[in-house]
Amino acid sequence: MTADHWGFVLSAYGIAAITLGAYWRHLCRRDRELAEQPSQAAPKAGHPRTKPLGSVQR
Amino acid sequence: MNRALGWLAVIGLAGGLIMAFGVAPREVTQGNVQRIMYLHVPTVLVAYLAFAVVLVASIAYLWRRDPAADRLAHASAEVGVLFTGLTIVAGAIWGKPTWGTWWTWDARLTSVAILFVMYLGYLLLRGMIEDRERAARYSAVLGIVAALDIPLVHFSVYWWRTLHQPPSLLKPGPATMSQGILAALLVNIVAFALLYVYFVAKRATVLRREEEVPA
Repeated sequence: MTADHWGFVLSAYGIAAITLGAYWRHLCRRDRELAEQPSQAAPKAGHPRTKPLGSVQR
Repeated sequence: MNRALGWLAVIGLAGGLIMAFGVAPREVTQGNVQRIMYLHVPTVLVAYLAFAVVLVASIAYLWRRDPAADRLAHASAEVGVLFTGLTIVAGAIWGKPTWGTWWTWDARLTSVAILFVMYLGYLLLRGMIEDRERAARYSAVLGIVAALDIPLVHFSVYWWRTLHQPPSLLKPGPATMSQGILAALLVNIVAFALLYVYFVAKRATVLRREEEVPA
Protein backbone atom coordinates (compact mmCIF):
# COMPACT_ATOMS: atom_id res chain seq x y z
CA MET A 1 0.00 0.00 0.00
CA THR A 2 1.43 3.38 -1.04
CA ALA A 3 1.66 6.16 1.55
CA ASP A 4 -0.85 8.91 0.81
CA HIS A 5 1.18 12.01 1.76
CA TRP A 6 -1.91 14.10 2.52
CA GLY A 7 0.33 16.83 3.92
CA PHE A 8 1.86 17.37 0.48
CA VAL A 9 -1.58 17.39 -1.19
CA LEU A 10 -2.99 19.94 1.27
CA SER A 11 0.16 22.11 1.01
CA ALA A 12 -0.12 22.25 -2.80
CA TYR A 13 -3.82 23.16 -2.75
CA GLY A 14 -3.36 25.54 0.20
CA ILE A 15 -0.55 27.48 -1.47
CA ALA A 16 -2.59 27.70 -4.69
CA ALA A 17 -5.67 28.95 -2.81
CA ILE A 18 -3.69 31.59 -0.90
CA THR A 19 -1.84 32.80 -4.03
CA LEU A 20 -4.95 33.01 -6.23
CA GLY A 21 -6.93 34.65 -3.42
CA ALA A 22 -4.18 37.23 -2.82
CA TYR A 23 -3.99 38.07 -6.55
CA TRP A 24 -7.79 38.42 -6.73
CA ARG A 25 -7.78 40.76 -3.71
CA HIS A 26 -4.93 42.80 -5.23
CA LEU A 27 -6.90 43.25 -8.47
CA CYS A 28 -10.11 44.23 -6.62
CA ARG A 29 -8.28 46.75 -4.41
CA ARG A 30 -6.46 48.34 -7.38
CA ASP A 31 -9.72 48.51 -9.34
CA ARG A 32 -11.46 50.23 -6.40
CA GLU A 33 -8.60 52.72 -5.93
CA LEU A 34 -8.66 53.68 -9.61
CA ALA A 35 -12.45 53.95 -9.70
CA GLU A 36 -12.29 56.49 -6.86
CA GLN A 37 -9.71 58.69 -8.64
CA PRO A 38 -10.80 61.37 -11.16
CA SER A 39 -10.23 60.10 -14.69
CA GLN A 40 -9.42 61.84 -17.95
CA ALA A 41 -10.91 60.78 -21.27
CA ALA A 42 -8.86 58.04 -22.86
CA PRO A 43 -7.39 58.93 -26.26
CA LYS A 44 -9.28 57.44 -29.20
CA ALA A 45 -6.22 55.75 -30.70
CA GLY A 46 -2.70 55.07 -29.55
CA HIS A 47 -1.19 55.13 -26.10
CA PRO A 48 -1.11 58.18 -23.87
CA ARG A 49 2.48 59.30 -24.25
CA THR A 50 4.63 60.23 -21.32
CA LYS A 51 6.46 63.56 -21.40
CA PRO A 52 9.93 63.51 -22.98
CA LEU A 53 12.86 63.58 -20.57
CA GLY A 54 13.82 67.10 -19.53
CA SER A 55 10.40 68.66 -20.16
CA VAL A 56 9.49 71.49 -17.80
CA GLN A 57 6.31 71.62 -15.73
CA ARG A 58 4.67 75.05 -16.26
CA MET B 1 -19.99 40.71 -16.94
CA ASN B 2 -16.82 40.44 -14.84
CA ARG B 3 -18.87 39.53 -11.78
CA ALA B 4 -20.71 36.76 -13.66
CA LEU B 5 -17.37 35.41 -14.92
CA GLY B 6 -16.04 35.45 -11.37
CA TRP B 7 -18.99 33.47 -10.05
CA LEU B 8 -18.68 30.99 -12.94
CA ALA B 9 -15.02 30.51 -12.03
CA VAL B 10 -15.88 30.00 -8.33
CA ILE B 11 -18.56 27.41 -9.22
CA GLY B 12 -16.12 25.72 -11.60
CA LEU B 13 -13.37 25.57 -8.96
CA ALA B 14 -15.80 24.19 -6.36
CA GLY B 15 -16.85 21.53 -8.88
CA GLY B 16 -13.20 20.82 -9.61
CA LEU B 17 -12.44 20.27 -5.92
CA ILE B 18 -15.43 17.93 -5.57
CA MET B 19 -14.26 15.97 -8.63
CA ALA B 20 -10.62 15.87 -7.45
CA PHE B 21 -11.31 14.78 -3.87
CA GLY B 22 -14.77 13.18 -3.99
CA VAL B 23 -15.22 11.55 -7.38
CA ALA B 24 -11.79 10.70 -8.83
CA PRO B 25 -10.51 7.33 -7.60
CA ARG B 26 -7.35 6.86 -5.55
CA GLU B 27 -4.52 6.20 -8.01
CA VAL B 28 -3.06 2.68 -7.69
CA THR B 29 0.70 3.32 -7.75
CA GLN B 30 1.04 6.83 -6.23
CA GLY B 31 -1.90 6.86 -3.83
CA ASN B 32 -3.70 10.09 -2.92
CA VAL B 33 -0.67 12.30 -3.59
CA GLN B 34 -1.56 11.93 -7.30
CA ARG B 35 -4.51 14.29 -6.61
CA ILE B 36 -1.99 17.14 -6.99
CA MET B 37 -2.31 16.40 -10.72
CA TYR B 38 -5.75 18.10 -10.76
CA LEU B 39 -3.97 21.33 -9.83
CA HIS B 40 -0.62 20.87 -11.61
CA VAL B 41 -1.88 19.91 -15.10
CA PRO B 42 -4.69 22.52 -15.40
CA THR B 43 -2.38 25.35 -14.26
CA VAL B 44 0.28 24.49 -16.83
CA LEU B 45 -2.29 24.11 -19.63
CA VAL B 46 -3.81 27.48 -18.74
CA ALA B 47 -0.30 28.98 -18.67
CA TYR B 48 0.22 27.66 -22.24
CA LEU B 49 -3.09 29.29 -23.19
CA ALA B 50 -2.09 32.56 -21.51
CA PHE B 51 1.22 32.76 -23.37
CA ALA B 52 -0.45 31.80 -26.67
CA VAL B 53 -2.81 34.75 -26.11
CA VAL B 54 0.25 36.96 -25.45
CA LEU B 55 1.69 35.80 -28.80
CA VAL B 56 -1.52 36.55 -30.76
CA ALA B 57 -2.16 39.87 -28.98
CA SER B 58 1.47 40.94 -29.49
CA ILE B 59 1.26 40.24 -33.24
CA ALA B 60 -2.07 42.12 -33.33
CA TYR B 61 -0.50 45.07 -31.51
CA LEU B 62 2.49 45.32 -33.86
CA TRP B 63 0.14 45.10 -36.83
CA ARG B 64 -2.69 47.46 -35.74
CA ARG B 65 -1.10 49.45 -32.86
CA ASP B 66 -4.31 48.94 -30.90
CA PRO B 67 -3.78 49.63 -27.15
CA ALA B 68 -6.51 47.08 -26.33
CA ALA B 69 -4.31 44.33 -27.85
CA ASP B 70 -1.39 45.54 -25.74
CA ARG B 71 -3.51 45.52 -22.58
CA LEU B 72 -4.66 41.97 -23.38
CA ALA B 73 -1.04 40.83 -23.88
CA HIS B 74 0.06 42.50 -20.63
CA ALA B 75 -2.83 41.06 -18.59
CA SER B 76 -2.42 37.58 -20.09
CA ALA B 77 1.34 37.56 -19.44
CA GLU B 78 0.82 38.50 -15.79
CA VAL B 79 -1.80 35.80 -15.24
CA GLY B 80 0.36 33.32 -17.18
CA VAL B 81 3.31 34.00 -14.88
CA LEU B 82 1.03 33.44 -11.87
CA PHE B 83 -0.16 30.08 -13.23
CA THR B 84 3.36 29.01 -14.25
CA GLY B 85 4.57 29.78 -10.73
CA LEU B 86 1.77 27.64 -9.29
CA THR B 87 2.66 24.84 -11.74
CA ILE B 88 6.29 24.88 -10.57
CA VAL B 89 5.36 24.94 -6.86
CA ALA B 90 2.71 22.19 -7.20
CA GLY B 91 5.14 20.11 -9.29
CA ALA B 92 7.90 20.46 -6.68
CA ILE B 93 5.50 19.43 -3.89
CA TRP B 94 4.37 16.44 -5.97
CA GLY B 95 7.97 15.58 -6.89
CA LYS B 96 9.23 15.23 -3.32
CA PRO B 97 7.15 12.17 -2.29
CA THR B 98 7.17 10.54 -5.76
CA TRP B 99 10.69 11.25 -7.10
CA GLY B 100 12.39 11.90 -3.76
CA THR B 101 13.41 15.44 -4.74
CA TRP B 102 11.78 18.89 -4.91
CA TRP B 103 13.66 19.84 -8.06
CA THR B 104 15.88 18.34 -10.72
CA TRP B 105 17.42 20.00 -13.77
CA ASP B 106 15.73 17.74 -16.31
CA ALA B 107 14.52 19.04 -19.67
CA ARG B 108 10.85 19.57 -18.72
CA LEU B 109 11.48 21.32 -15.42
CA THR B 110 14.28 23.45 -16.83
CA SER B 111 12.27 24.54 -19.89
CA VAL B 112 9.32 25.50 -17.63
CA ALA B 113 11.69 27.48 -15.40
CA ILE B 114 13.02 29.29 -18.50
CA LEU B 115 9.42 30.01 -19.60
CA PHE B 116 8.69 31.48 -16.15
CA VAL B 117 11.82 33.65 -16.16
CA MET B 118 11.22 34.88 -19.73
CA TYR B 119 7.70 36.12 -18.98
CA LEU B 120 8.85 37.54 -15.66
CA GLY B 121 11.40 39.44 -17.76
CA TYR B 122 8.56 40.53 -20.06
CA LEU B 123 6.74 42.07 -17.08
CA LEU B 124 9.96 43.69 -15.79
CA LEU B 125 10.64 45.16 -19.24
CA ARG B 126 7.18 46.72 -19.29
CA GLY B 127 7.76 48.21 -15.86
CA MET B 128 11.18 49.62 -16.75
CA ILE B 129 10.18 51.66 -19.81
CA GLU B 130 8.20 54.80 -19.01
CA ASP B 131 6.93 55.56 -22.51
CA ARG B 132 3.90 53.29 -22.84
CA GLU B 133 4.09 53.00 -26.63
CA ARG B 134 7.74 52.00 -26.57
CA ALA B 135 7.11 49.54 -23.70
CA ALA B 136 4.26 48.01 -25.70
CA ARG B 137 6.40 47.69 -28.84
CA TYR B 138 9.43 46.12 -27.11
CA SER B 139 7.35 43.77 -24.98
CA ALA B 140 5.33 42.68 -28.04
CA VAL B 141 8.58 41.55 -29.67
CA LEU B 142 9.61 39.73 -26.48
CA GLY B 143 6.12 38.20 -26.18
CA ILE B 144 6.50 36.71 -29.67
CA VAL B 145 10.05 35.42 -29.10
CA ALA B 146 9.26 33.94 -25.66
CA ALA B 147 6.35 31.93 -27.12
CA LEU B 148 8.92 29.78 -28.95
CA ASP B 149 9.59 28.10 -25.59
CA ILE B 150 6.03 26.72 -25.32
CA PRO B 151 6.52 23.83 -27.83
CA LEU B 152 9.95 23.25 -26.29
CA VAL B 153 8.32 22.76 -22.86
CA HIS B 154 5.59 20.49 -24.20
CA PHE B 155 7.78 18.25 -26.38
CA SER B 156 10.82 18.20 -24.07
CA VAL B 157 9.64 14.90 -22.57
CA TYR B 158 9.84 13.31 -26.04
CA TRP B 159 13.02 15.00 -27.26
CA TRP B 160 15.15 14.35 -24.16
CA ARG B 161 15.37 11.64 -21.54
CA THR B 162 13.58 13.13 -18.51
CA LEU B 163 12.44 12.20 -15.04
CA HIS B 164 9.12 13.86 -15.81
CA GLN B 165 6.38 11.64 -17.23
CA PRO B 166 5.04 12.16 -20.80
CA PRO B 167 2.00 14.47 -21.19
CA SER B 168 -1.30 13.27 -19.68
CA LEU B 169 -3.26 15.18 -22.35
CA LEU B 170 -2.45 16.93 -25.65
CA LYS B 171 -0.74 13.86 -27.07
CA PRO B 172 -1.47 11.62 -30.04
CA GLY B 173 -3.94 8.76 -29.46
CA PRO B 174 -6.68 8.30 -26.87
CA ALA B 175 -6.19 9.18 -23.19
CA THR B 176 -4.69 6.28 -21.24
CA MET B 177 -6.06 7.25 -17.82
CA SER B 178 -9.28 5.95 -16.22
CA GLN B 179 -12.60 7.70 -16.95
CA GLY B 180 -12.93 9.03 -13.38
CA ILE B 181 -9.46 10.58 -13.39
CA LEU B 182 -9.96 12.01 -16.89
CA ALA B 183 -13.34 13.56 -15.96
CA ALA B 184 -11.89 15.20 -12.84
CA LEU B 185 -8.97 16.54 -14.85
CA LEU B 186 -11.23 17.99 -17.57
CA VAL B 187 -13.53 19.68 -15.02
CA ASN B 188 -10.49 21.29 -13.37
CA ILE B 189 -9.07 22.43 -16.73
CA VAL B 190 -12.39 24.16 -17.54
CA ALA B 191 -12.51 25.70 -14.03
CA PHE B 192 -8.97 27.10 -14.25
CA ALA B 193 -9.63 28.34 -17.81
CA LEU B 194 -12.66 30.27 -16.48
CA LEU B 195 -10.52 31.69 -13.68
CA TYR B 196 -7.92 32.74 -16.27
CA VAL B 197 -10.56 34.55 -18.36
CA TYR B 198 -11.89 36.30 -15.24
CA PHE B 199 -8.43 37.40 -14.08
CA VAL B 200 -7.43 38.65 -17.55
CA ALA B 201 -10.69 40.60 -17.97
CA LYS B 202 -10.25 42.17 -14.53
CA ARG B 203 -6.55 42.98 -15.08
CA ALA B 204 -7.26 44.49 -18.51
CA THR B 205 -9.93 46.72 -16.92
CA VAL B 206 -7.42 47.86 -14.27
CA LEU B 207 -4.83 48.60 -16.99
CA ARG B 208 -7.37 50.66 -18.97
CA ARG B 209 -8.25 52.65 -15.84
CA GLU B 210 -4.54 53.22 -15.11
CA GLU B 211 -4.15 54.75 -18.58
CA GLU B 212 -7.15 57.04 -18.00
CA VAL B 213 -5.97 58.37 -14.64
CA PRO B 214 -3.88 61.56 -15.02
CA ALA B 215 -0.23 61.08 -14.00
